[in-house]
Amino acid sequence: MVDEDRHAGVAVAGVGPWRLALRRLRANRVALAFGALFAVLVALALAAPLWGDLAGTSPSRNHLSDTIVIDGQRRDVVTEDRVPIGPTWRAKYFLGADGNGRDVAVRLLYGARNSLFIGLTATLISLLLAVTLGLLAGYLRGWVDAVVSRGLDVVWAFPVLLLGIALGVALARDGLQIGPLSISGGSKWIPALIIGVVGAVYLARPLRGLVLSLREQDFVEAARAQGAGPLRIMVGELLPNLASTVLVFVPLLVANAILLEGALSFLGAGVRPPDPSWGTMIGDGVDLLTSAPHLTIVPGVMLVLTVLALNVLGDGVRDALDPRATVRPER
Amino acid sequence: MHWTLRGLAGALVASMVVGLAACGGREKNKSGEISVAVSSFPDSLDPALAVTAEALQSLWVVYTPLLTYAHAEGAAGARIVPGLARALPRISADGTTYRLKLRKGIEYSDGRPVKASDFEHAVKRILNLESVGTPYFERIAGAGAYLRSGKARGDISGIETDDSTGAITISLDEPYGPFSNVLAMTFGALVPSDTPFENQTKRPPAGIGAYKLANVRVNRGYDLVKAPGFDIADTPKAQLDTIAVEVVKNRGRQTQSVTRNDLDYMTDPPAPDQIRSVRDRFEGKRYREFVTNSTYFFFLNHRLAPFNNKAVRQAVNYALDERALVRVFGGLLEPGCNFLPPGLAGYEKIEPCTYGDPNAPPDLARARELVKQAGAEGEQVTVYGTGEPEAKGATEYFADVLSQIGLKGSPRIIPSANYYATIGNRRTRAQAGFANYFQDFARATAFFSIVDGASISDTNSTNFGNVDDPQIDATLARADRNPSAEAVSKDYAAVDRRLLEEAHLVPYGNRKLSVFFSDRIDFDDCTAWHPVYNLDYTSLCLK
Amino acid sequence: MLRFIARRLAGMLAVLFAVSVLTFLIFAVIPNGAPEDRMAGPNASPGQVAAVRREWGFDKPLYVQYARTMKKIFTGDVVSYVDRTNVVDEIGRGAPRTFSLAIGAAILWIAGGIALGLYGAARAGRAPDRLITVLALAGVSMPVFWLGALASHYLGFEARIFPDGGYAEIGREGVLEWLWHLVLPWSVLAVVLIGVYSRVLRSNLLDALHADYARTARAKGLSEGAVLRRHALPNALIPIVTLWGLDFGAVLGGGAVLTESVFDLQGIGQYFADSVSRLDVPPVLAVTMLGTFFIVAVNTIVDIACAAMDPRIRL
Repeated sequence: MVDEDRHAGVAVAGVGPWRLALRRLRANRVALAFGALFAVLVALALAAPLWGDLAGTSPSRNHLSDTIVIDGQRRDVVTEDRVPIGPTWRAKYFLGADGNGRDVAVRLLYGARNSLFIGLTATLISLLLAVTLGLLAGYLRGWVDAVVSRGLDVVWAFPVLLLGIALGVALARDGLQIGPLSISGGSKWIPALIIGVVGAVYLARPLRGLVLSLREQDFVEAARAQGAGPLRIMVGELLPNLASTVLVFVPLLVANAILLEGALSFLGAGVRPPDPSWGTMIGDGVDLLTSAPHLTIVPGVMLVLTVLALNVLGDGVRDALDPRATVRPER
Repeated sequence: MHWTLRGLAGALVASMVVGLAACGGREKNKSGEISVAVSSFPDSLDPALAVTAEALQSLWVVYTPLLTYAHAEGAAGARIVPGLARALPRISADGTTYRLKLRKGIEYSDGRPVKASDFEHAVKRILNLESVGTPYFERIAGAGAYLRSGKARGDISGIETDDSTGAITISLDEPYGPFSNVLAMTFGALVPSDTPFENQTKRPPAGIGAYKLANVRVNRGYDLVKAPGFDIADTPKAQLDTIAVEVVKNRGRQTQSVTRNDLDYMTDPPAPDQIRSVRDRFEGKRYREFVTNSTYFFFLNHRLAPFNNKAVRQAVNYALDERALVRVFGGLLEPGCNFLPPGLAGYEKIEPCTYGDPNAPPDLARARELVKQAGAEGEQVTVYGTGEPEAKGATEYFADVLSQIGLKGSPRIIPSANYYATIGNRRTRAQAGFANYFQDFARATAFFSIVDGASISDTNSTNFGNVDDPQIDATLARADRNPSAEAVSKDYAAVDRRLLEEAHLVPYGNRKLSVFFSDRIDFDDCTAWHPVYNLDYTSLCLK
Repeated sequence: MLRFIARRLAGMLAVLFAVSVLTFLIFAVIPNGAPEDRMAGPNASPGQVAAVRREWGFDKPLYVQYARTMKKIFTGDVVSYVDRTNVVDEIGRGAPRTFSLAIGAAILWIAGGIALGLYGAARAGRAPDRLITVLALAGVSMPVFWLGALASHYLGFEARIFPDGGYAEIGREGVLEWLWHLVLPWSVLAVVLIGVYSRVLRSNLLDALHADYARTARAKGLSEGAVLRRHALPNALIPIVTLWGLDFGAVLGGGAVLTESVFDLQGIGQYFADSVSRLDVPPVLAVTMLGTFFIVAVNTIVDIACAAMDPRIRL
């Protein structure tokens, strides 16, 4: 294995592993295509206010008793039997209206903002927590490792969804107060925090294992001999070596965070009304599934596309960074 | 299953009885069993405790109090008639003493004779079990002392009964006009005197009614079985053998089942996304809607900004668009601008509506002006509501309306099991929220109790908005002393108008409920809607 | 070996204790409105509320309440705050439903995962393999609740091929009804995991097929198929089985919440979700402990099995 590594390195003389990885990624057209899809989705989410202006409304503005004219016909946005209008493919109600007369397309894009914000923030929190815990537990060993590992065991044994639901419901009422820091119950930081903590556990264990094996290696020994303290070693030597593993996990963590946020919001334990998120939109849509299926289908498709894009991209990143990728035979 | 000899014998007898009944001739094609679905198990099957409409719809035909309501539709159904008592009570001139006599020879569904003292036992149960009905029955003299003594078998001085003559004399601390209505509540239904002082949902006591409870499986279902020995003058008997009630949480599935004739009746309205198809296909044939005596409103907390300011409260009333709310309820809402529902003595339709025609667009400009003048622009308001589709939609709508007139409204959805305890708790500091009221009994007093200053309490308050208007309080105190609601209907109408003028809350309409049956039920002749208890089970029969 | 098991069991108990304390604290510490207000009901006087408070022991310090609730859970005496039903009875009623769902889905996803993984590895790099990869990735990206809602609506409610929800008890309605009600929930729950498993197996298989021992086997004259069957597959399956054990534990432990809720199966997961939203602490505690127990127990079994199977791991 080591031979093949060096062989691969020598074959492309002078190119470092990162450049090599980037090159492999660039050659993977499928991954690039889905990466572009994800970028487009992010762009759409960022453009939400623009679309809101075009449609002339905001994501929580109800238009229950409004009417609009389509093809010369005046139609109710929401009929008296609460059947909302379907997609009009125009600026107003492009994707139709929901049970409260809100513009679905506008809500979808703002929902994208919320879902993506929570997904990315949660991932960031997971990374910070996991890297810190993994480094501390793996390098310092002893009682630090014991405490961290047992703590991880407890959180890991806790049924993930149950923990998420319990915390989501509990914290949603009156928010969180840690000392001077206070987060209101309706804030999106609550689900982000919960998902972040839960996700950290999945990353912390492998990272800890990696650190355990890395700390025995020569370069660490050398740094110690040079008089570097634990902090220097952890941040200066070990951290960079974790980078490629961490990078592989990032797209997967974001994808899972978005799915988990959807699940929590669907159950009412995530984003609070009237803030849109794909999960809450699906939850609302299911009540009107017979009369207005677009309310369920549209946010679900967006969610699947986003997560799919991240998963394919994640696959591509993993293939690019994994040194064994060059050896994988293709027949 | 263990087939003991006794069990076999019993089964044999039962099958013979059924066989004989089946050969009954004329009644054969009209009896039988129907299946009913409810969305949630009743809060209790113990008459001393049951409060929700689902519970009472069934318990009304199983347990009979001294007085009851006439089995009729519309206003006639709100009339109080004798139940187990021989006649309406003789009320003393000062209104504090009620005299009744028990009918002779009546028996419980298990065959035991009814005694007058059973009434006192029923009241003791209400008081001991901390029932919702307690405040009403605490008006009886000696009830407070009884509770304080802590002795369950103690005596309530204000109730005197004579088992040999069947006489019952009730003395109140103060005159209370609606007391006849109180006696008609199922809380006061007579049960055998050996019924324990415990919630008897799992083993409901014997009662006197057209049906009796059987096969109770808590949280899953129960049966209403025809009570063969039931015979009280002017009270209809059961026409079906069995009504099997099952809990099916999903309204969509209930609706589909009834549509396909797999289910005979669902107590809830159809699922929101099937209302249109049910109306189109079955209106008048298997489906009908009724306006109930209920009021749907948003409460506004008088003790907190910004609604301690009358101008802001009026602004909200101007801004509310009842057409929008009708849509949230899928058309199952009758818009109106009174607080009292039509059909009650004291209802006088306010015309023109204080804050604009409910069927026309609201005056948002005026609302915004009022808010600005009151200096309340930008104030944060949290609107509480529950998670059911209609309540959630209404709450989100209302929060948006507040945002449209210069406030900053945001909804907060709470599970219904915790809702009333939450908004009734002073510490919650709920500024506004979704609320509704279905009558406890058919008199305006019940509705006004939620805007009566006397109802304000720190916990479990029913006056969510802390409405404390001395004029209203005084009028109600006076009117409630009169046993006849018709006599004081003008007073009630005045209170209704003042509620709107002072914008003490934001009423928007009366709920419509529905009946949706399968093909088997005789829709034209056998479905009666009662103003207090919704569908009258004794009216049901098969084709 | 015995010491290993003993150590793991002790660890399991410690984790269970920690989880129970954590759950209890989550609900005790957050300001959720006193349960005695809710239980006393509307119109209750302060005296009545205080009486309820005393009756249920809410006036005692937290650790006393915790101890009492835990004791009640273990004696089977624990009762819901909301409707006073016995929690253990309700869990007992929901357990067969959750087990039916979890076991059936687990069988489906491991079988499907292995089948697709094998097929994909055998045709690695070619069109069928790419298609399976795309499908697998799509499956992994599906939110279970969305897929379930759409499946139960279109295949159940509209097309009536399957029932649109609910659970049929074998005892009351027979095996066929039971099966028919579970096909959709099984499929929906398995779709996501089949994707995961087929990809993991495929990559494990490809690694195994290029490992030294496979090369040796081929040199010794074994056919490709035999190499796959006798060498590559067993080695590739070990991590799969480990993963399967962990996932099964997770589903049993609560991962089934979404599927149960969407299909209205009234299992333990749905019971949990309903109880949490009503802030009904006893069922939440009981179900969490049960779920944790399953997760930890299954993990322990998997660890022990791995240790037993792998001679390299010394106990």
